[in-house]
Amino acid sequence: MSALRVQVCAGSGCVAAGALRVAAALRRAVADDPGLEVAVREVDGSAEAGVRVTGCRGFCAMGPLVGIPEFGILYCRVGEEDALEIVERTLRRRELVERLLYRNPLNGDRCRGENEIPFFAGQTRRTLRRCGVIDPEDIDDYILHGGYAALQRVLTEMTPELVIDEIKRSGLQGRGGAGFPTGMKWELVAGADGTAKYVVCNGDEGEPGAFMDRSLMEGDPHAIVEGISIAAYAVGAQQAVLYTRAEYSTAVRRLRLAVDQARQRGLLGTGAIGTDSGLDLSVVEGAGAYVCGEETALLASIEGRRGMPSPRPPYPAYRGLWGCPTLINNVETLANVPSILSPDPESFDDVGTTLSKGTKTFALTGRVNNVGLVEVPLGTTLREIVFGIGGGIPGNGEFKAAHFGGPSGGALPAAHLDTPIDYESLRSLGAMMGSGGLVILDEQICMVRLARYFMRFCVEESCGKCPPCRIGNHVMLNLLDRIIAGRGQPGDTERLQTLGEHIQRTSLCGLGQTAPNPVLSGIRHFRGEFDAHVRDRNCPAGECSGLS
Amino acid sequence: MSRPTDRSWPNREDEPLSGFYGAEEAGIRRSVDDEIWSFIDRYLEQHGGGRERLIPLLHRIQEKIGHLPFEVQEYVADGIGLAPVQVYGVVSFYHGFTTTPRARHQLKVCMGTACFAGRSQHVLDALAESCRAAPGGISDDGLFNLDAVRCMGACALAPAIMVGSAVHGNATPRKARRIVNDLRDRAGESAGESGE
Repeated sequence: MSALRVQVCAGSGCVAAGALRVAAALRRAVADDPGLEVAVREVDGSAEAGVRVTGCRGFCAMGPLVGIPEFGILYCRVGEEDALEIVERTLRRRELVERLLYRNPLNGDRCRGENEIPFFAGQTRRTLRRCGVIDPEDIDDYILHGGYAALQRVLTEMTPELVIDEIKRSGLQGRGGAGFPTGMKWELVAGADGTAKYVVCNGDEGEPGAFMDRSLMEGDPHAIVEGISIAAYAVGAQQAVLYTRAEYSTAVRRLRLAVDQARQRGLLGTGAIGTDSGLDLSVVEGAGAYVCGEETALLASIEGRRGMPSPRPPYPAYRGLWGCPTLINNVETLANVPSILSPDPESFDDVGTTLSKGTKTFALTGRVNNVGLVEVPLGTTLREIVFGIGGGIPGNGEFKAAHFGGPSGGALPAAHLDTPIDYESLRSLGAMMGSGGLVILDEQICMVRLARYFMRFCVEESCGKCPPCRIGNHVMLNLLDRIIAGRGQPGDTERLQTLGEHIQRTSLCGLGQTAPNPVLSGIRHFRGEFDAHVRDRNCPAGECSGLS
Repeated sequence: MSRPTDRSWPNREDEPLSGFYGAEEAGIRRSVDDEIWSFIDRYLEQHGGGRERLIPLLHRIQEKIGHLPFEVQEYVADGIGLAPVQVYGVVSFYHGFTTTPRARHQLKVCMGTACFAGRSQHVLDALAESCRAAPGGISDDGLFNLDAVRCMGACALAPAIMVGSAVHGNATPRKARRIVNDLRDRAGESAGESGE
């Protein structure tokens, strides 16, 4: 029998629900039970035994979560007061604590573990496969789960060209939103002139309602460090920067720890395994600006300036950080890299669609039962995500729309529930994958208000450099304000459309170019609702108090 | 490196730049702990004073004293070799930096999409009313800072508010008002005790 492990999920959702207190209570309960302590320690005697705090498991709706992998058990909504019972009954006597098991709302059956819980059964967890399983603060746990094998293979057996070829062949696309082919980006930077080159990992996850990158950085930081190291080798960079939000203090701390641990093992810095090319990797905190997710703004922020974008070209691949060729990849993109290059690769492209390969993580939130972090093959239908994994709408409400990509994205109405979710399909429907925020809306949500919410966000976050974004979005916001206040003028909907298209076409950076998307997609799919506000002074969802 | 007492760049007495100091003056002025000057000196000695040090340094200062008073910005500018306006430009650009002094209690309302869908605006309104502070500001009794913040990742608990470092999930206007009243009562009690 292998070591008994107790995994306490410490993703932000579970921590907010009290997971750290649960972990402490479990530790106390284990320590207070002398017989058991021996039992836990004796088995294997390895570092694995005991109560471990892990990264996000994803099932945030049911947190705090406590997993005991040897028995295939996942306890949900565990409180401090349950610790003693778990230790006494489950760890000591091998019994189930029935009431802490997930109850399948469809048939009322208790589910023992992840295999039986529909939320997990519907997913294909690859990028997230170690999240919630390993101790993110322990490099050995990562190595035990196959970590750093890809880096070793890359550094000892492969030329940079071969690495780039393999990434190109995998079909990996940037997971930050735009979906640019990763291998092609690497090739551009590798081929750019310049002796000093940089790799920048974009962990500035500013989209409201999105926490995929945060969960990855908190739950599996070494995978990102490994991905960065591989990318640096492939493009010939000596320095790398991981830029993330200062608010993600746990992620920052764990990433810095991961970098230190990797450096101590000689996996970074001078003398990294099998190579003389050292890598200097630093973790840099942003200071709260959505626009810093845009690559040129991000570079400005790293350099200590206001995070304002600059026109492209020149592209960062040729002239980026401190004027040097710079590769910028998103956290999730780089976290995908080690598994693609691992010595015994699970195939990456066996799932997905013809054009969109692999899996994608989503932060599933809003009016859905199973709020959480999910990972599915690209091409999975919205219906499977919302009603399969997500467990449907709470209170038997009616599904109205799914909003992708936050302030840059758009909503898909119920008519598109069976649309496969991939980069091409979403684009053709006027939505955008974005980085993976997926907010489910029920019939009580007014689409005009939602559009205004995102527009206000963009107005607040606009850096003010170019007039279409600075002024145009403000005018759109004013129009939405007056529509919601019941003072809409005939033609306001059309005004919004025309203005939105101008802003899309003429803005300097991605923020401005995509800021009108939520409004335009709202008008496209819910025109009736906009017209009702303007023409009939009526809010069909009943949310706008100024209207009937 | 010159200390604020003998600085050469705009002397506050000579140059009225009240608009510039706006946020700070609206709140309650706090004197800055003298330790901060040597902390800044040490930081720049240790890490070097390149421009890329600016944002990390501002973070560390804010962690220590809660906000970024203008004289501190000036001192940092001096140390890194920037014009004070360049530092102020950075401070004002990023939401993470504030020139409002920190009060005893920090109230934060998440404005992420999930919380929006959970009607966080009503919660924010209720808090603003009951603690008498505009979002982003400090209450008139100096007891509360109220901030509307970006997604804090507690979407499963939407709408979520933070009181200090504790997250309160499934917030309602009523719950929010109760939290403020409790905190105010407690503050009143302790003030009474210390007065005795």
